[in-house]
Amino acid sequence: MAKKKLDIGDLGCLNDLVIGQKAIVTNIGAPNNIFKRRLLDMGITKGAKVVIKKVSPLGDPVDILVRGYELCLRRDDLKMIGVEVVL
Amino acid sequence: MKIALIGNQNSGKSTLFNLLTDSRQKVGNWPGVTIESKRGYIKNTDFELIDLPGVYSLSPYSNEEKISRAEILKNDLDCIINIVDATSIERSLYLTTQLLDLETNVIVVLNMSDMLAKKKLTIDENILEAKLGCPVIKVSALKNIGIDKLIDAISNLKNRSKLKIFDEFLEEKINDVSKFLDGSNKRFASIKALENDFETNHEDIINKYIKEIENKYNMDVVEVFASKRYDFVEEVRDSCVVRENINETVTDKIDKVLLNKYVGIPIFILIMFLVYFLSVGLVGSATVDFVEGLVEWVSGAMGNLLTNLGASDWSNSLVVDGMIAGVGAVLTFIPQLIILFILISLLETSGYMARISFLLDKFFKRFGLSGKSLIPFIVGTGCSVPGVMATRTIEDDNERKMTILLTPFIPCSAKLPVIALFSGFFFRDYAGIVSASVYFLSVITIILTAIILRKFVYKGNSTAYITELPEFRLPSIKYTLRDVYDRVISYIKKAGSIILLSSIFIWVLSSFSFNFTYGVDVEDSMLATIGKGISWLFYPMLGELSWGASVSAIQGIVAKEQVVSSMAIIAGLTDGGSSLIFASDGIFGFFTPASAYAFIVFNLFSAPCLGTIGAMKKEYGSGKHALKAILFQTGLAWILGVLVYWIGRLIWF
Repeated sequence: MAKKKLDIGDLGCLNDLVIGQKAIVTNIGAPNNIFKRRLLDMGITKGAKVVIKKVSPLGDPVDILVRGYELCLRRDDLKMIGVEVVL
Repeated sequence: MKIALIGNQNSGKSTLFNLLTDSRQKVGNWPGVTIESKRGYIKNTDFELIDLPGVYSLSPYSNEEKISRAEILKNDLDCIINIVDATSIERSLYLTTQLLDLETNVIVVLNMSDMLAKKKLTIDENILEAKLGCPVIKVSALKNIGIDKLIDAISNLKNRSKLKIFDEFLEEKINDVSKFLDGSNKRFASIKALENDFETNHEDIINKYIKEIENKYNMDVVEVFASKRYDFVEEVRDSCVVRENINETVTDKIDKVLLNKYVGIPIFILIMFLVYFLSVGLVGSATVDFVEGLVEWVSGAMGNLLTNLGASDWSNSLVVDGMIAGVGAVLTFIPQLIILFILISLLETSGYMARISFLLDKFFKRFGLSGKSLIPFIVGTGCSVPGVMATRTIEDDNERKMTILLTPFIPCSAKLPVIALFSGFFFRDYAGIVSASVYFLSVITIILTAIILRKFVYKGNSTAYITELPEFRLPSIKYTLRDVYDRVISYIKKAGSIILLSSIFIWVLSSFSFNFTYGVDVEDSMLATIGKGISWLFYPMLGELSWGASVSAIQGIVAKEQVVSSMAIIAGLTDGGSSLIFASDGIFGFFTPASAYAFIVFNLFSAPCLGTIGAMKKEYGSGKHALKAILFQTGLAWILGVLVYWIGRLIWF
């Protein structure tokens, strides 16, 4: 398993988490409004709990558990999602 | 009464639609199976039901979602049935909160409720009903549970209570804005106006409200509404759902293997290899003799019967050498197709399809495509027409246009007879491997073409990839058999219509000369004359001026399997009814492994059949664009065919 970059209580972006880590979304910095709206519609809102579940064998995209279902996003997009690590 | 079915992608709308209306719409386990709205009537009623493409919200993102939103906002609906996936209620209820902003009646259907126990979930639908202010009914569309209750609820619609889901401050602003608006669905329109998703004549006032909201919550206004909706949903969830923790689901366990860092990609390659190896190699060689014998027997018996009845030579030849030879040649491949269709159906309904997209997104991103383009490709292994239509789920316009052009490059089931015929004869024991190699050649061609197109035609990079990863589901035997049956029947129907007509046409052209005398040598027939005019075009990839192969290749535009049927008719007429297309002294005796492979390649990549061309035209929204794409495909096919022939000659002499 990849080495943890962030520990409990740290602030960072979703891209820095490894499989199994849990976090709470603190902000969504998507530059384009359409994509940001899509993230919001899919349940990535401030305060949402997310867990990193699976990573594609090629390292990208990443599958996260949010609001009881699994959502795949590319790493470039995970970088725009700010989180606070809780586990 | 008019009712719409709406819900998230992959929540089982089409399964419920099929059950309610007794129809056979396609179902599958990936987000975006339904791309067009379908209509039907609920059994034994006059309720019209519309099945809409799945959406996550009423702010549409891709093309097929726009259809759903437009249909909902047309405002001629008596009722909306909102399908909620009971196993992921939180995200599903987000859409419900938006639907409840409308003035239409809503019935919430908790689908897949049979799965709740397995997931250690319990949902109290009475509390949910009270919280949402509309009827809530637990059903399982797959297991046919709760359908009577649903029909009851539709028949006894009551006006629902108006729901306020936001805090007082927001509700007040929504109310204020609605005073400036006319027409129906004022609450919905006010929120959309505040979200800048709806134009009004009162921009100044609306902008003032937006400022106030953004200042109060310290977020942009779109984010405020989304967050507050989810806050409401969380509160509802907490009041009616009890969830026991499960550490690892079955899906997680399967994914540990299928998405494994080291074996995930090799497993994918093995699965795709097996699809072609099993259908063409293993099953093909086991059944081909039996089926060919059957066709030969029918044609012999028919010939005798007609002779005994005193039929003239030409009518005997029309039936035996034209109709039976042409249609029979196509029908001999049904065993292979059955296996191919079963395997594709399993890929589509198990949930593996969405995983292929997840596995290979990074790889295809490099070439300006994304994991989403893979779904049209896999659907295209059955038939290019639904494959081309499946491109609608791709949001990026350039990527979508590229995928429309590339999808026909995947060997579809109609190209399988061409591949199987040539590889079966020229590569015998290696037929399965050769067929699989054709598949991998098509993948390589797709990648190289994508690079060229991104560089010169559809410039720019692929946009974001955001999609749901569905859980694995055990494919239902009933649905798999039905899907395979439907596909085989449609193949047989095509053989009995388009292929039969073309066979008669080809028989006429090859039995008569230009001054309409019957019984001329085939070499002097109209078909041969036409073929000789164009055979130079195919010389560089066949190494022979063959009018027969040339006219057959061109007929691929009617239907790809017509190539095989044309060759069977021509071979039969020239060799006095021999059933062996590649008899060494016959008209196609010149084929070598190199020219055979080259011929397969040309047929694979050249202009697709008319059905697919129609779909391409529709998806491009422009006949000119489709024409350019087809010319490009055919030019590329010619170049590749020639290359394969000359490289092949180095290998096989």
